[in-house]
Amino acid sequence: MIDQRLYEEFRDIGRDIFVTGLTSSHGGNMSVRVGDKIIIKRRGAQFGRLKPSDFVETKFQGKDSGITRASTELIVHRAIYEKTSALAIIHAHPRTAITLSLSRDEIIPIDNEGSYLLRKIPVVTVELASGSKEMAEVVSEALRGYKIIMQRGHGCFSIGQTLEEAYHWVSALEEVSDIILEHKLMGEEMIEYRKHSESYAKW
Amino acid sequence: MQGWTGKILDINLSNGGIEIVPLDMEMARLFLGGRGLGARLLWDLVGPEVEPLSPENVLIFTTGPITATGSQTSNRFNVSSKSPLTDTILHANSGGWWGMQLKRTGYDALIVRGKAKKPVVIEITPEGVALKDADHLWGKGVFETTEALGQSRNKRNVLCIGPAGENLVRIAAIMNDKERALARGGPGAVMGSKNLKAIVVEGQEKNKPADQDQFKFLLYETGKLLKASPLTSQALPEFGTAVVMNVINEIGALPTRNFQQSQFEDADKISGEAITDNILVKNQACWACPITCTRITKTKSDKEGEGPEFESAWAFGAQCGIDDLDTITEANYLCNDMGLDTISMGNTIGCAMELAEKGLIDDDLSFGQADKLLDLIRDTAYRRGIGGDMAEGSYRMAKKYGAPGLSMSVKKLEMPAYDPRGMQGQGLVFATGNRGACHETGNMLGPEVLALPRLIDRFATQGKAGIVSVHQDSAAVIDSLVYCKFTNLAVAEEFFARTLTAVTGELFTADDLMMVGERVWTLERLYNRREGFTKEDDTLPDRLLNEPVSGGPSEGFTVKLAPMLEEYYAFRGWDKNGVPKPEKLKELSLEFTIEVAYD
Repeated sequence: MIDQRLYEEFRDIGRDIFVTGLTSSHGGNMSVRVGDKIIIKRRGAQFGRLKPSDFVETKFQGKDSGITRASTELIVHRAIYEKTSALAIIHAHPRTAITLSLSRDEIIPIDNEGSYLLRKIPVVTVELASGSKEMAEVVSEALRGYKIIMQRGHGCFSIGQTLEEAYHWVSALEEVSDIILEHKLMGEEMIEYRKHSESYAKW
Repeated sequence: MQGWTGKILDINLSNGGIEIVPLDMEMARLFLGGRGLGARLLWDLVGPEVEPLSPENVLIFTTGPITATGSQTSNRFNVSSKSPLTDTILHANSGGWWGMQLKRTGYDALIVRGKAKKPVVIEITPEGVALKDADHLWGKGVFETTEALGQSRNKRNVLCIGPAGENLVRIAAIMNDKERALARGGPGAVMGSKNLKAIVVEGQEKNKPADQDQFKFLLYETGKLLKASPLTSQALPEFGTAVVMNVINEIGALPTRNFQQSQFEDADKISGEAITDNILVKNQACWACPITCTRITKTKSDKEGEGPEFESAWAFGAQCGIDDLDTITEANYLCNDMGLDTISMGNTIGCAMELAEKGLIDDDLSFGQADKLLDLIRDTAYRRGIGGDMAEGSYRMAKKYGAPGLSMSVKKLEMPAYDPRGMQGQGLVFATGNRGACHETGNMLGPEVLALPRLIDRFATQGKAGIVSVHQDSAAVIDSLVYCKFTNLAVAEEFFARTLTAVTGELFTADDLMMVGERVWTLERLYNRREGFTKEDDTLPDRLLNEPVSGGPSEGFTVKLAPMLEEYYAFRGWDKNGVPKPEKLKELSLEFTIEVAYD
């Protein structure tokens, strides 16, 4: 059972993700790990209007009836919890980051805050882009080295010790991407202000 | 792989044997160094049949793969043994210069076995390894011993015990570089039981990273983050570790008068701000550390030394109901000279004060008696009068007088400066601590108070087990590299992984490191199980479970341990009795412990 404190955290962060345009009304999902269980948003629940009944509790490993209502990406969440030390996961569809992912293999921030927080966001490609074993494998492996990654043309997966932390990386990624896009549209040459910035590509 | 010298120095004091044995590099990859390597070596060397103060116990001093590279805070080292205070696994680590210097002698670890016939000093220099007579030093304090053996910051470094270790006081520390301590669990008594007064190290070898360019980039980036964090660039340099005294007090989690209250009315008089305003001479850094949290202080009676740290100021302050900062500071200096763990010493004095106030011991001791503090510490070091009882630690003392529940300890290790009734996660950390009640093995100060990485509800219990486990694993890997945990206030595990990769030339991810942490934590758990510890030992003093806080911001709270513990075992992949499941042990490459887990 989800307790009131945890529900409120899901509800508030879900609303913020929707109203800041980081996902569409029903897209994306999020979960937390509690003991040997996962509490995950149910399939088809609206991000901006989450109710206590919109959450499903399911086993960390193995199958149970929870999977009938859980998010399509449950398989990916399970793989991430298995391979990393994540305690919370957010999958969202930040549109500028998705736009950049269509033509890049990595997103390297050019702003100061993004450089500090993220340094580099790798972009991975998966043929079956929703709820597949391949996706679970590729995404969870990429998250062993990074706290947020992009799946090309689909969206981001972000991990943290809390939902708030995972949300921070999603929000920062979209800010980073907006700045890159706007600077590119401006068409002016960048004046580098960061020592060793060439090393971010190797991060 | 670079980062390790591949050599262990193995000394048997019983027969004077000195051997150099190869480090098993697969073991190094799985356990890294420091606390992890110490635990793995101890598993093979010291079984349940060994009494902690017998010659069969060992002291294992370990450095890590990043030690002495120059990476920020790469100065620390670890000691592992079986504890004479708790009978659990013992690990303690310390900063300063000695650890860096041990690595420079060309050894990843030093094992000391047996017992010398009379007091000796081990000297490890470029000329070789020698056992030297220490008759003239036996009985002397740490300060005099350190000077006599020629301590010299970057060249020659001294580690030794004081009278407390010689007298087998169960809360005795090993001291290095004069005033740094390997304190918790009584390692000083183990060293004393071996007639080993000191170990002197002088080295010349360098630990050069495999990828110099990436290492330099990481030094730069880590430095940026340490400068950007207000904790590591302002709070700790300005006020030292006691910067959190007022913070902890304000939220109602500062244990006061042997945990009878959770706020101290005079906390501001013993706080980091009070130290800076009244007694600070200058701040100082360990080798390769930009944080400079060490306090060099001077009291009104012109005594000068290091400290007090937060825990020491609390232990002789709030825990004993004392607000006299000069006396607290001199108590800290005296513990350093006698070679005593300040947390256990202050906590045990607080326990004695309550025993006396309740009429359980025949003494006029009471809370607030600053004038008795220094005598009580000396009496403990020399086992005189009531000091003889205190030398056994608070649990054995309180049990002797019929009130073990008044010992604020877990597994007989005295608690540090956090009342877990106001920080529920901290209660779970203390209850499950492998070396007993300890804040260094998964402190929840970060998430429950300082918002690192994010602020969580300190009174909540659901979901705490995962966060506690991650912090325990993270602390275990930091202790195995070996870094100072204060870097982790600004720098996440991915930096440690990338630095380790640059040093060794072999890829380590953040999650690889977290798995090392889980492996170390689980091995320690199994070590204790082999010693006979069970889930019944994962508990807290009755006061914290059943006596609600009487006032302040934590009023009405006890520690709700049972639901957190259930969630904790499940999260860790342990069974309902807190025993790691076989599949978990296989996953962690700990197959050799399965027999112990399921005997």
